[in-house]
This record gives sequence, C-alpha cells and structure tokens, in this order.
Amino acid sequence: MGSLVEIENLTVAFRSKRREGFFRSGPSLKALDDVSFTIGENETFGLTGETGSGKSTLAKVLVALYKPTSGTVRFLGREIDYKKRKDIAFLRQNVGLVFQDPVRSLNPSLTVKEVITEALIAAKTIPKKDYDERISFITKLVGVTKDLLPRRPRELSGGQRQRVSLARALVVPKRLLVLDEPTSALDVSIQAQVLNTLKKLKSELNMSCLFITHDINVIKYVSHRLGVLFYGRLVEVGDTRTVDTEPKHPYTQSLISHVLTLKKVGLQETVVSEHRPAPSGCRYRIVCPSAFDRCAEVPRWVNLGAGHMVSCFLYDRQSTKENGTILQATAATSVDSRAKSRGLQ
Amino acid sequence: MAINGHGGTDSGQVVASEAVGRGSGAGRPGEGSSGGNLLEINDLTVDFVSVDGRVRILNGVSLTAKKGEVVGIVGESGSGKTTLGLAILGLLDSPPADIVSGTITFEGRDLLKLNADEMEKIHGTGMNMVFQEPLDSLNPVYTVETQIAEALKVQRKRQGSPVTHEAEGETRKLITDLLRNLCIDKPEEVLERYPHELSGGMRQRVAISISTIEKPRLMISDEPTTGLDAYVQNRILGMFSAQKKVGETLLYITHDLTIASQICDRIYIMYAGRVMEAGETRSVLQKSLHPYTSTLVASVPQGFDDAPPLAVQLGEPPDLRNLPSGCKFNPRCAYAKDVCKETEPKLEEVVGDRYAACWRVDKELGKFS
Repeated sequence: MGSLVEIENLTVAFRSKRREGFFRSGPSLKALDDVSFTIGENETFGLTGETGSGKSTLAKVLVALYKPTSGTVRFLGREIDYKKRKDIAFLRQNVGLVFQDPVRSLNPSLTVKEVITEALIAAKTIPKKDYDERISFITKLVGVTKDLLPRRPRELSGGQRQRVSLARALVVPKRLLVLDEPTSALDVSIQAQVLNTLKKLKSELNMSCLFITHDINVIKYVSHRLGVLFYGRLVEVGDTRTVDTEPKHPYTQSLISHVLTLKKVGLQETVVSEHRPAPSGCRYRIVCPSAFDRCAEVPRWVNLGAGHMVSCFLYDRQSTKENGTILQATAATSVDSRAKSRGLQ
Repeated sequence: MAINGHGGTDSGQVVASEAVGRGSGAGRPGEGSSGGNLLEINDLTVDFVSVDGRVRILNGVSLTAKKGEVVGIVGESGSGKTTLGLAILGLLDSPPADIVSGTITFEGRDLLKLNADEMEKIHGTGMNMVFQEPLDSLNPVYTVETQIAEALKVQRKRQGSPVTHEAEGETRKLITDLLRNLCIDKPEEVLERYPHELSGGMRQRVAISISTIEKPRLMISDEPTTGLDAYVQNRILGMFSAQKKVGETLLYITHDLTIASQICDRIYIMYAGRVMEAGETRSVLQKSLHPYTSTLVASVPQGFDDAPPLAVQLGEPPDLRNLPSGCKFNPRCAYAKDVCKETEPKLEEVVGDRYAACWRVDKELGKFS
C-alpha cells in the first residue's frame, strides 16, 4: 500500500487579533503544530480529538482552504505549493470534502441536481454530455433517489442532505474523501445508514478517506488507522484496533476510557479539569497523571512496532535509562489504571 | 440548607391538592408500582395548528416519573421528545400548539389547569429545563455570574432564606465550585463573561449550572450533552447521577442510546409522537420488544472496520403530516404483517413493567414473535 497523502511537520498558525497600540500583540495560535502522518491508498484514516484540537483545520488544509504556515503536504508524490494556483487546483480536483452541517453546506436556492452539477462544472474535467450519466451513477451509489433531484435542500431530511453532500463530493472521481464530522448532526439510525453507505462507497470507488470525528465508536467502526490529536499535536498514531485496545499515550488512555458504549456499566467518576494545553513541551503535561521533569521538552516519536507511534517520554527508551525505575513505575501505574477502567466493560 | 427544599408557598399548595390527581389512568406505564409518582402524564395529545392544517405532534403519550428517578425519553428527531418536555413545563405557545386532551400531573396538581401565576411559582425550583440550544436560553446582556446568581436568589427566596449582601462572597464561591465541578477550568474568568464570548460547550454548562443551582424537584434536560466532548459529557452525566441521589427527578431527552443506557433507570422509546416501548433501561435495550427499539440498538456502531454493516432498515423518519395507516413504524419495519398496516397497536403491558405497542409482541409468551 503506497502513500496517497504524506503530511510532514505541518504547522498552521493563526495570528492573534489582539492589538496593543499599532502592533499585533499576543502569540499566534498554533492550531496544528508539527503534525506528520500519511494516508495510504484505499485506506481510511481516522482522526480524533476534542473540540479545538485542530481536526477541522487539517481538513481545510487538505482542500487548500487554509494554507500551512510551515511543513509540507505531498499528494500522490507531488509536493503542494500553496502559492501556486495549479497545485491548489490539483489538490481540489483530487480531494472531496463533506462538512458537518448538511444544512449550511448546501446552497438553499439550488435544486439537488444543480448542487451536484455545480461540482461537475467547477471540475471542468468531464465533458458536458456525460453529466447525466455521472450524476445517475453517483446518486444511485450514495442512495439519493431520482425523485429527490428536482427538490431543494430544505425539503430534504438530514440524512438525505448528507447523502447529497456525499454525491457532490464524489461526482467528480476523487482520490481522497475528507469527511469532517459527517454524521454528528444526524440521528443514530440515519448515521448508521450513512456509515453503511460510506463503507459501500469505499469498496466500489477506489479512494482513500480521512474521517474526522470526536465519536470514538464511529471512528473505530470505519477507520483502519487512527490518529489522536491533542491541541494541535498528534500524540498517537497506529492501527485502530491496537490504539483502541492498547492505547499508550496517557491522553489516549483517558480518552478511550471515557467512551460510552451500550455494554459498559458505570461512568468514569474521575474529575478531569478542562484540558488546558501546556505552553511548551508536551501539551498534555498539565493534566497528565504521569508527567515528570522531562515532559517540559517536546517528546519525540517513539515507534512501538507495526506502525504504532506515540509521542510520549514514558515510552522513550533513552529517557527511561536516565530516570531509572521511578519512571517505569509511573508507566506501569498509568497502564494499570487504564486496565481498571476498561475492566468495567 | 435542605437539599430538596420546597418553597414555602409551593409546599402548602402541594399538600392541599395532593389527593386530586391520583387514581386516573389505570394500566399506564409505571402505574402498577408503589405509586407516589412525582410526574404523571396521561394520554397527552398535542396538535400544532398552521395554515396547512393540523399536525399531531404527540398522540396519547403516557409517562410517569417517581421521585429520584432518571427517566429517559429516546427517539429520533421529530418524534416529539422536545414538545413533550415543553408541554410539561407549560411552555407550548398556543397557537400554534393545541393541547387536545390529556393531563399532566405534577406533585398531585394538574398543570394544564393552572394559570400563569401558579405555573410561574413551579418554574425554576419546582421544575425546570435545560434546553438544547444554550444561546437561546441565556440572556445576552447579562454576565454569566449575574444569571447564575439570579437563579440562586430565586431558589433562596422561595426557601425562605434570601441572599443577603453579606452572603454574596459565599454565593460566589458556591457558583465557582459548581462551575469547576462541570470541568470549567477558570470559573472566575468565565463568570465575568457574556454568553456570546463563550464556546458552545461552555454555554451549555452555564445553562446546566443555572438549572441545577435552583435544585428543582424535576429537571428536564433536552439533549444537554450534544456537541460536548466525552470528558465533559461524562462529568455532566456524573453530576446528574449525583442529583438523583439527593432525590431530584430527571427527565432526560436524548437520541443517544449509549447515554440513556448509562444514566436512565427507565426509558420511553418514542416514534412519531407515540410511545413505542417503555420499561427498565437495561431490559429494554438488551431484550427489546419493539422492532423499532432493536433498530435503534443496532444502529449504534460497534466493533472495528471489518465489522458487518449496521443492521438498519432503509427509510427516513416519518413525515408527521402524512403518516401511514396502522402502526406508524410499519413502512420501516422488517416484520410488518397485514394487521400492522391496518390497525394501530396500543401500548400494553407485556411482562412485568415492560410495555410495547406492537402486534408482533406475544403477550402470553412475553416476547417478540
């Protein structure tokens, strides 16, 4: 499996609006800080994290709605220069985006057919005579019935609207589909239908997916690999099953243990204060139960094997040597507490 | 301070009219158990009237909630969950809403017969509601502190111990503790802000703190944790569980079965303005009687990417203006028989404290057949 998208050291900073006199003051906010990962061909990469962790920023970088402050994005081996129109066009031709809110992402004054046709016109790659064929192919695939085509978005239900968004994103063949919280505005039964559709789409169209959501149950169900973001930094990447069953980073452990399922009984009663990122070093160290001196530095990536990467000093061999047994003890307790909380399942 | 303190005037009226609302609605969910229901809704039917005609939003809904119980109302959007909540509080505007029939009995009093003044005395400390959209329920021109303090003042006044000037420092501490308990990291800063300066999750927590500080006997929360992170959600759910321990009753409206399974003692599954199934949460979710409940349970994603497709029937939520005849779920139901398309089943007790409205549920066997 080759890589479709390679993201290296991606940083996106927003300038602070606060002003002191004439000059902008205050530090710029790094929505994404040194994020690196790859998405393979035909792979679904799940990206999770809480509100404000930079999930949506990443989605927008991939369709060039935001430009990276530093770092590189490589798509199909081609390094994207965000200053060049050609590169941006190339990116947008190959990447489809589905937004969270199906109400606001569809033009209310157009019919469903017009909404989908617009995408074809904008792409310019498909001859006009093939439009109808293409539209009927894609609508059938995503489950938009013929009678919906002349209707306007306001006449559709949430699930139908999200299907129209999907059809619009995929009517021009794409290599990557970016889904930014595609089901969080939907009812569970509709969400299930959309998830089923997505799985079917993936097997029929040759494409990769970047699935962004804060719902771990959903992301587990759809993605092959999983990345966990904490305040702009990726803290753990790995095979979904591995990350879910053996999370290594203290943040991932705590995140996974708070996931509610139908089977699990009993809530986590631990008091977690609002997550405030540390200004330097490991961002999680303020609330991290296993934090120690070295966490004031930025942790390196540690490869735990089989593509499971974690950015935490607890697993950094070099630091283990320096700190000796105390550190190993902390690592063991944090894993223990996780095991305890998961034992409830 | 009495934790479940009744206001002076309120409790007097409660005692006086205690006997009135009892005894009606035999055979309704929850009726068989020990009695002493805090809230009893019987056969509530609500229409919305517009130029296009009448639309029935709630159709013969019956529901009970005992003191200290967490009751879940679960259903898809458009199933009438929110309308039910608003009807209990008497917040349905008429027109367009028209309460066709039914009674809502709260602490023995029929709420539908009370006038606005009497209702106002119940609002807040008797019962209150956390709305889904917090920006609409907070006042944009007051700071967070003013709004929470106002709720506290009302609560103290009704309890007979008004907040004095000297006690204001103590009030502030109470409020900051409450916000900290809701995972707000720097409550002192948040108190100074106006609602528009807060994030959605933060606003929701402020709205929740206003409701909880009034210590209502019945709290209705309408999807309070939608859009919040897992941590904050768990914290809020934990807080609701704690309220239950001190005897507060909670009516929890949600479409998320995983949440309902965590905190609700009993749940009511609603569809197209009707109760489809009711009973103790765990047994409803594990041994669902109604096919609609099974659909909802099957819709919750479980397992990893190689798991089979989720077992849901195709089809969209019902159009209330144009409902099918017979059972309202029949077009989406995999088990529909002829009778399901012709006559609508009634909600009936199947086995001990389990209710379902389905022709395919065999009362003798006590299960779906």
